[in-house]
Amino acid sequence: MVSSFCWSCLTRLRQTPRTVLPSPTAVPRGPAFHTSAVRFFPNPMMRKKPGQELGGPKYRQSKSARMKKKKPVDGKARPPPVGERKALRKRIVLSNPNALEVEGMQELTEETMVDSRLRGNVLALPVPMLDQLRAVQAFKPKQGWSIFRRPGTVLRRETLEMGRLFDNISGVGEDKGTAVKKIITGSRKSGKSVHLLQAMAMAFTKKWVVFTVPEAQDLVSATTGYGPLSDENPNLYVQNEATASLLSRTLIANKTILSKLQVSRIHPALSAVQPGMTLENLAKFGVQDPASSWAVFQALWAELTATSATTGLEKNFTPRPPILVTVDGLAHWMRNSEYRTTEFEPIHAHDLVFVRHFLSLLKPGKDESTLPNGGALLYATSTSNNPSIYSFEVALKQVAARHAGVDPSAPEFPKLDPYSNPDSRVLEAFISTKPTSAQEGMLEVQTIGGVSRDEARGFMEYFARSGLLRETVNDEWVGEKWTLAGGGVIGELERLGRRLRVAAA
Amino acid sequence: MVFILGVNFPERNLVAKSLQGFFGVGGLTSARLLSRFHIHPTCKVGELANKQVLDLTAALSDMKIENDLRRQVLDDIKRLKETGTYRGRRHALGLPARGQRTRTQIKTAVKQNRIERRL
Repeated sequence: MVSSFCWSCLTRLRQTPRTVLPSPTAVPRGPAFHTSAVRFFPNPMMRKKPGQELGGPKYRQSKSARMKKKKPVDGKARPPPVGERKALRKRIVLSNPNALEVEGMQELTEETMVDSRLRGNVLALPVPMLDQLRAVQAFKPKQGWSIFRRPGTVLRRETLEMGRLFDNISGVGEDKGTAVKKIITGSRKSGKSVHLLQAMAMAFTKKWVVFTVPEAQDLVSATTGYGPLSDENPNLYVQNEATASLLSRTLIANKTILSKLQVSRIHPALSAVQPGMTLENLAKFGVQDPASSWAVFQALWAELTATSATTGLEKNFTPRPPILVTVDGLAHWMRNSEYRTTEFEPIHAHDLVFVRHFLSLLKPGKDESTLPNGGALLYATSTSNNPSIYSFEVALKQVAARHAGVDPSAPEFPKLDPYSNPDSRVLEAFISTKPTSAQEGMLEVQTIGGVSRDEARGFMEYFARSGLLRETVNDEWVGEKWTLAGGGVIGELERLGRRLRVAAA
Repeated sequence: MVFILGVNFPERNLVAKSLQGFFGVGGLTSARLLSRFHIHPTCKVGELANKQVLDLTAALSDMKIENDLRRQVLDDIKRLKETGTYRGRRHALGLPARGQRTRTQIKTAVKQNRIERRL
């Protein structure tokens, strides 16, 4: 059959109503497909009484009970000012005025940090140091600093060992100026971040320079600006804001040390930097001008790792202090970052110069130690915010095996699963050969476990003496809690101590 | 306030979201644009450097977006109608053009497939 109109002139087709509606009639009636009588329509001629309900729901109306819609709350509720909620979330409270002051509590000093008689005691962090520790963001918001009168940490075995190590590096003995490189792992809540905090506190007491990366994830989660390093290196990326904030952390925390040291080298990349200027001013320069922050950081690093001045500038040179570098949440640096190249390919974290610099420190230096003036690299993993990266796990096992002296060709050396699609860059970053310099330690993995029963007892006594725990702390009771805390996992012990406070109240 | 392609954006807005305000720029296109000029995804409009604003404007002005794109879509529909294809017919009749059932739920097609199609 031939169509009644021409298809090619559809544009001129008028739109017609799709269904021809029946003409409205005076009498209400239902649609044609309804055979039942219309029951629920009221007679339109009757006047509606106010408040009288209709007989029932109309066609195709829901028959379930209708809820009244809530009216939007009147008044213009404005959101809190920008940054306020985050500030509240990240707030760190270090003191609880309701907690009792612990009498006879000793502070962390050069003497107490190596005193093995104090093992198991809680040492308070010196008050003037708190600002420094805050500046390097050593405290984390979820740690339980806010329940005690003043912040303190347990002197456990690992802490004492570290104290002795720091003492030797700063001292005059044969270990002076050695560089220690450790990756700190351990189960959840075992105190890895607090171990880093203790390291920072000890470094501050020993007048070291402290560089910290409090949250490794922040560098790779694409929340700070980035850009190509230079035209020669289009595949390396620099993060100016992140570098500037690293410089500002370092500057605030190490002000007294940096203000005494002077620039003793020529830095061609920075025309404004003159020899004789203090390192404090050098760092300030990078904080004020983020565009040059990476060059400033490199200059600062070169100055701090210098063992002697360049010729002609000897009068500006004073011996440089050891350096402590801590990174928390290392696993985030072992995969592609959230940043993208111009071709929209993901950028590997190792292509960010910031990350690359700190990872390159793990490798032994070519001619001299990576930290020629001594110091420590403490890179901790995290278990609460931890991407699972197979290559990194194997790399850590390999580091441990290599440190134990297992030959990489030996059958017991940890091998990769050939079908696992490993990230060769991750493995490569942890391959460290025997250091050429005697001053440089080999990379090792330190696993932090639970505290011993004695240390647990000291910790619980601290709770009791702070007035948070109303129990008789004896060996039996501590043993029970030690077991409940998974063999003295210190975070769990703290939770038990807190919970008992509520039960006793 | 920052002008990108002649449109004024408040400084507190995300760049990624602001770019999606243009007809024809969605999530992927905006993400690609950002990576092209090394702008991180959480960057606010106020944080953009002058050069980046100019680059973005230049890139957007090379793209077929806004009225050009609207015109193209309308032209495509018109061509379908004029060549008398099935899809053209469906557009003209105000019915779904992609094989959906028409017994119920064709509101969108009724609303959109008009003679004077608006975008």
